[in-house]
Amino acid sequence: MNSKYTFFVIFILTAVLLFISMFGLQIGGAEIKGADQMRFGIDIRGGVDATFEPKDLGRAPAADELESARAIIETRMDAANITDRDVTIDKTNGKILVRFPWKSNEADFNPQKAVSELGETAHLTFRGPDGSVILEGSDVTKSYALTSQVDQKPAVMLELSADGAKNFAEATGRLIGQSISIYMDDTMISSAIVESQIIGGGASITKMGSMEAAALLANRINSGSLPFSLVAKNCSIISPTLGNNALAVMVLAGKVAFALVCLFMLIYYRLPGLVACIALILQVCGQLLALSIPQFTLTLAGIAGLILSIGMGVDANVIISERIKEEITAGKSLRAAIEAGFNKAFSSVFDGNITVIIVAIILIKFGSGSLLSFGYTLVTGVIMNFIAGVTASRLMIRSLSTFESLRQPQYFGARRTAKS
Amino acid sequence: MISFYKHRYIYFIISTCLILAGVVAVFVNGIQLDIQFKGGTIFKYTYTGTIDEARAENVVELAVGKTTNGQLQSNMAMQEQMLILSLADNEALTSQEQEAVTAALNQAFPNANLALAESLTVEPFLGARFFKNGIIAIGLSFLLVLVYVGFRFKNIGGLSAGTMAIIALIHDALIVTAAFIVFKIPLNDSFIAAVLTIIGFSINDTIVIYDRIRENKNLYGGKISTEELVDTSINQSMMRSINTNIAVFVSITIVYIFAQIYNIEAIRSFALPMMFGTISGCYSTICIAGPLWTMWQNHKNSRSLVKA
Repeated sequence: MNSKYTFFVIFILTAVLLFISMFGLQIGGAEIKGADQMRFGIDIRGGVDATFEPKDLGRAPAADELESARAIIETRMDAANITDRDVTIDKTNGKILVRFPWKSNEADFNPQKAVSELGETAHLTFRGPDGSVILEGSDVTKSYALTSQVDQKPAVMLELSADGAKNFAEATGRLIGQSISIYMDDTMISSAIVESQIIGGGASITKMGSMEAAALLANRINSGSLPFSLVAKNCSIISPTLGNNALAVMVLAGKVAFALVCLFMLIYYRLPGLVACIALILQVCGQLLALSIPQFTLTLAGIAGLILSIGMGVDANVIISERIKEEITAGKSLRAAIEAGFNKAFSSVFDGNITVIIVAIILIKFGSGSLLSFGYTLVTGVIMNFIAGVTASRLMIRSLSTFESLRQPQYFGARRTAKS
Repeated sequence: MISFYKHRYIYFIISTCLILAGVVAVFVNGIQLDIQFKGGTIFKYTYTGTIDEARAENVVELAVGKTTNGQLQSNMAMQEQMLILSLADNEALTSQEQEAVTAALNQAFPNANLALAESLTVEPFLGARFFKNGIIAIGLSFLLVLVYVGFRFKNIGGLSAGTMAIIALIHDALIVTAAFIVFKIPLNDSFIAAVLTIIGFSINDTIVIYDRIRENKNLYGGKISTEELVDTSINQSMMRSINTNIAVFVSITIVYIFAQIYNIEAIRSFALPMMFGTISGCYSTICIAGPLWTMWQNHKNSRSLVKA
C-alpha cells in the first residue's frame, strides 16, 4: 500500500465507518446497530440493578435452590412483560443478580415495589379445570427434567409427598381426559391432560418441547417448595429521566472534547495534526462498533472512558509528530524523517499502550458493572490506537508526503527547510 | 536545556508538600467512604415547591426507625430540586422498607410531586468486599506494571527503572487520593477507576522517557554522564509529555465542566481527581522519576568505583 492515494482510501474508509457507527447498517439478516441504539447500562436507560439473597437462611443456598429462585424471578418478569433483562446466579456467594430497565413511558411504574415483588416466595398451585386447587407447591418434594424412557422425549418428573400423592391420586382419577394446570402466583406455567390415574406419588409431564423447557419447568415447580424468600441487599434504582439527561450531557462533552483536541493538534502539528484528527475519528468509530456489534453494555463510566481515550489516543500521534519534527530539524530528508519518526516512536507507543491494557484488564476483572464498561472502552481504545494512531497514520502521512505541494517543512511544524 | 537533575530537591520538596497537604486533609476531613463501600442507603427524590428537610428526616425516621440525614439540592441547569436522604445503618434497607419510605414521604408532602430519581442501598458487608477488591486491584496493577517495566528496560537497569517508575506512580496515586480527600469526595468505584487509570496512563510518560534514555545510551555510550544523559532525554521528550497531557487534561476537564453544570455526581467525582492525576503524572515523570533514577545510578557507580 505505497500508493500516492492511500490517504484518500483511508479517508473514505473512515467516512464510511463513521456513517456505519452512527446510523448502523443492515445487509440481509446481519445488522449493525447505530450509535443511538447502543445497549446502554442501567445508569443511562434507568432501571433496577439488584442483588438478591435468601432471607434469614442460616446456610448457603444450594445450586438447585438458586436455579429455582431464578426461575421465580424470570417467570414474574415474563408476566410483567420485562423481556430485556439480565438475571445471573453467583453460585460462590449464593446470590442472584438482576438487572432490568425502567422504561420511560411507564410513568406509574414503582421500582421499589417491583423489587419487593420479585423476591416474594412463589405461590405454586396445581389446579383443576374449574380452578380448584389440587396441590400446593409444598406437596412436591422434588422435580427434575429427564429423557423419558417411553418416547425418548424430554419430560419433567415430579415426586410428591405422602399427602400430596393421596390428593393427586384422587384428582387424577376424577379428571381423566381433562387438564391440570400449574400456576406460579397467578401465571399459568404449564398445563397437561391427565392420561390415567396417578397413584404412588410419582408423576411425569411428558412431551416437553426441549430439554431446556423441561429443566425450566422443573425449576419453576421446585420453587413452590423453596424454603426462603429473597431480599435485595444491594440495590440501585435510577429513573429514566435522570439517566437520559446524563447521556445527553456526556455525549455533548465528548463532542466538545473531541473538537478541542482536534483543534489543538491541527494548530500545533499542522499536516500530521490533520492526520491525527482522521486517525482519532477512525479510533472512536472502531470503539463504537466494538460496542454496538456485540451489543456490549455502555455505561456512563464507559462514555467517560471513551472521552479519555480520545485524549490518550493522540499520544501516539504526538510522539510520532514530535519525532518527525525533530528528525527534520536534525537535517534528514522529509521521507527519511517520516520513516525514522515512526520507527523510533513505535517502541514507546507500544509500551505505553500495553500498560494501559494491563490496568484496563484489572478493571474489567475486579470492577463492578459500571467499571466493566470503562475498562472495555479503554481496551478497545488502545487496540484501535494501534490500528488508527500508528498504522493508518503512517500510511496517511507517507501518502501525503508524496505530494510536492505538501512537502514544506513548516507543514510538519519544523522551522528548517528540508532537503528534498 | 533545563537541568531537572540540578533542581531535583526543589521538586522533591514540592511533591512532599502536596502529599503532606493530603495527609493533613485526612486529619481535618477524614477519609469518607461512599455508601458503595461502607454500606447504607441513599434516596434522591425530585420535587416541586418547598420541602422542610428536617421534617422529611423525621418522617423517614418514623417510617423505618433509622437515623436519617436530609439535604436539599437545586440544579440550575436542569431546573430541578432534589431531596437527598441518606441512612447509615448496619443493614441494607429492604425494598419493603424503601416502599414505606416513599409512601410516608408522599403522605407527608402530598403537594410536592415527589418522584424517586435514584436510590442505592448496599449491605455493609458487601461494601467492605467491594472496597477490598478495589484495593487489591490497585496493588495488582502496581505489581504488574513494575514487572513489565522491569522486563522491558533490562538494559538500563530493569530493577532501578521499575522501582523509580513505581515511586512516580505511587506519587500520582497519592495526589489523586489527596484530591478526593481535600475535595471531600467520598471514595467509591470512581476512586478505584481514577487511580487505576492514572497508573496506566502516567506510566506512559515514564516509559517514553526511559525509552529515550535507552536510545541515547546506545547512541552516546559512556561518553556523557548519567546526569546529562537523563536531562537530555527528558528535554527531548518533554514537548511530547506536555502535549499529550494537554490533550488528556482538556478531555477530562470538559467532562468535569459538563458534569458539574448538569450535576452528574458519578462522573464529576471521577473527573476532578483525574484532572489532578493528569498533571501529577506529567510532573512526576519529568521531575521525580528521571532525577531519582539518576541518583540511583550515580550512587551505584560511586560504589563500584570505591570497590575498584
